[in-house]
Amino acid sequence: MDKLVYGYSGKQLRISLDSGKVSVESINPQVLRKYIGGAGYGARILYDELQKGIDPLSKANKLIFATSPLSLNQIPGGGCVIVCFKSPLTNAWSESKCGSDFGPELKRAGYDAVIIEGRSENPVYIVINDEDIAIKPAEHLTGKSISEKIKMIREELGDQKISVMCIGPAGEKLVKIAVALSDQRAAGRCGVGAVMGSKNLMGIAVKGSKKVRVAQPERLKEAIKKAMKVVRKNEVAAGFKEHGTTGEMIANDAAGDWPTKNWQSNHWGKAEEIYNEFYNKYLIKNHACYRGCPIACGRVAEVKEGKYKTAVHEGCEYESLSAFTAFVLNENVEAAIQASYLCNEYGIDTISAGAIIAFAMECYEHGVIKKKDIGDLDLSWGNPAALSEMIRLISMREGLGDILAEGVKTASKILGKGSEKFAIHGKGLEAPAHDPRSGKALAVTYGTANRGMCHIHPLEGMAYDSGKFDFGLVKYGLVDPNTIHRWDEKGKGKSVKILQDGLIVPDILSTCKFFLYAGLTIDNYADMLSALTGWEIDGRELLKVGERVINLQRLFNIREGFNRDDDLIPERVRQRPSFGIYQDEPRCVIKDYEGMLNEYYEARGWDLITGKPSKDKLRELGLEEE
Amino acid sequence: MEVKVKLYGILRKYGEGKFDRGDNIIIPEKFPLRDLISYLDIPERLGKICLVNGYPQDVEYKLSEGDEVKILTVLGGG
Repeated sequence: MDKLVYGYSGKQLRISLDSGKVSVESINPQVLRKYIGGAGYGARILYDELQKGIDPLSKANKLIFATSPLSLNQIPGGGCVIVCFKSPLTNAWSESKCGSDFGPELKRAGYDAVIIEGRSENPVYIVINDEDIAIKPAEHLTGKSISEKIKMIREELGDQKISVMCIGPAGEKLVKIAVALSDQRAAGRCGVGAVMGSKNLMGIAVKGSKKVRVAQPERLKEAIKKAMKVVRKNEVAAGFKEHGTTGEMIANDAAGDWPTKNWQSNHWGKAEEIYNEFYNKYLIKNHACYRGCPIACGRVAEVKEGKYKTAVHEGCEYESLSAFTAFVLNENVEAAIQASYLCNEYGIDTISAGAIIAFAMECYEHGVIKKKDIGDLDLSWGNPAALSEMIRLISMREGLGDILAEGVKTASKILGKGSEKFAIHGKGLEAPAHDPRSGKALAVTYGTANRGMCHIHPLEGMAYDSGKFDFGLVKYGLVDPNTIHRWDEKGKGKSVKILQDGLIVPDILSTCKFFLYAGLTIDNYADMLSALTGWEIDGRELLKVGERVINLQRLFNIREGFNRDDDLIPERVRQRPSFGIYQDEPRCVIKDYEGMLNEYYEARGWDLITGKPSKDKLRELGLEEE
Repeated sequence: MEVKVKLYGILRKYGEGKFDRGDNIIIPEKFPLRDLISYLDIPERLGKICLVNGYPQDVEYKLSEGDEVKILTVLGGG
């Protein structure tokens, strides 16, 4: 047996929804060595197989569900799957990660990746159970919420434990911020649900029974033991376990890292009371998104009665609770929890939904949207009753919701009347709940992330600037965060380059990024990967793979017509906050974004005018044929 | 002089035995925030955000009688 297939099955599943043909293909081991898996392998496949300029909602788009050798429940953070596709929201490269048992089950079923192409004539769902692959009719699932679909599929299959990923009604209606949920975790950004909907694919169920072949079992055991010891002693991991991501609201509000009122400020001063109410009244327990997670940062919450009643559900995360409070100036915690819950049922991205509602509220304030346009709904800032109705209108593409379902970039072009300046996005992806005015590395991250204005693919820069996390990258040239100031602009472009190369590694390995916050480094993952595969791969090589993948994703976007202009961030995001405790802080403004971008491009070896990688850089990365 | 201090999140486990009366700590006149952080045994490696009387201050800021200090750390992962 070729030792290169240790850790991998060496096989991928290709499913054509046009013909119903299912084929099992061998994967070239050299491609695996160069791109490893996850977002790396997905980038290689999409770049090679998609034609330039395709409509993301046409049958020409493809969905790549990718794992890596580390997609195992016993690996710290191993319970993830990455979905790669061309985004209907941004028309750019996109990847969306989901924490659940879906990735490990796919791995156990004997596949490193699944490629779904074409379009089914009628609604279907796919069942993968080792070698048994079935495409089943799903007409009866249409119009059902995500939790209903998952329940019905499990009942039909007679298996309550099978891992299922589904879209909701919003995905069926091709809402461009539609998600896919596996159990109660979302592959949330960039509209993966709309791409599934465009293929008439309602869901995928997966179960496997095979064992992964490990090259050096004893070494792997030791590497996992060493990593788990770090995580169990780590105070950040303990913090995530107790408070989840939601617990960050208070510190972020204080730090000016909490975009408020559609980015008119970076601070509201309400986070402490909002979080305390959530924690004391509605939080039931913490929850692990995959079996074996030692952190278990997920939240389980419920609003038991009243106007904003919900079922017991997983939520809210930091981003969701922030999107439905600070973004829209809503102080009603019950309404915010219900909004997050409804997004998961309809199947839309909570970040984009909150951002779109904030955009609509500002349009309403300025008369761009009038009460009669939205069925007499009062869209004043902070109206809690508006949230659920706006989520329904967007998800079902009803009335004004049909325009807003396109995302803020397109909606602002349709609505006009100066609303473009209220549309806070990068490359068409709505901005999340972190504010680069208070930590300048995030500005470059937002501008240059290949999937758009994203806080976590590849990284959230505030952790470096304010949190002083170095992620073990100082030995690879990262400037020690304790020697820089969050207000500094100079040097941040160079730092972001190294941070991106390092923090894309979990996306390539299809592992949870929070384990890097919990004390693990790419060296830990290199050790585990080496033990699994028999390769001798170190942290430096993983960094090089990270750089290669970022450049390949960049090439995908350049082929689609993206350039330096698309790496700019909105004017409002650079300006001094108009209210709050940072209003009079002269450093709380981005003075020379273009300078930071130039510094980043130079560090990357990209042309300063076009933003294209140089031929020398491509040669260095083994991408000279692109 | 006395200042009122509140620690948040993962910082709450620090400062044990350093409080003189409830949430209050007795410190010298014009005591810099940096020295207060050090006195509370909060590790250097953790990023800190400090609010004094509701407003953000750098660690060089010198405290006054009756100041209310909040010290938080940003994780940035969510």
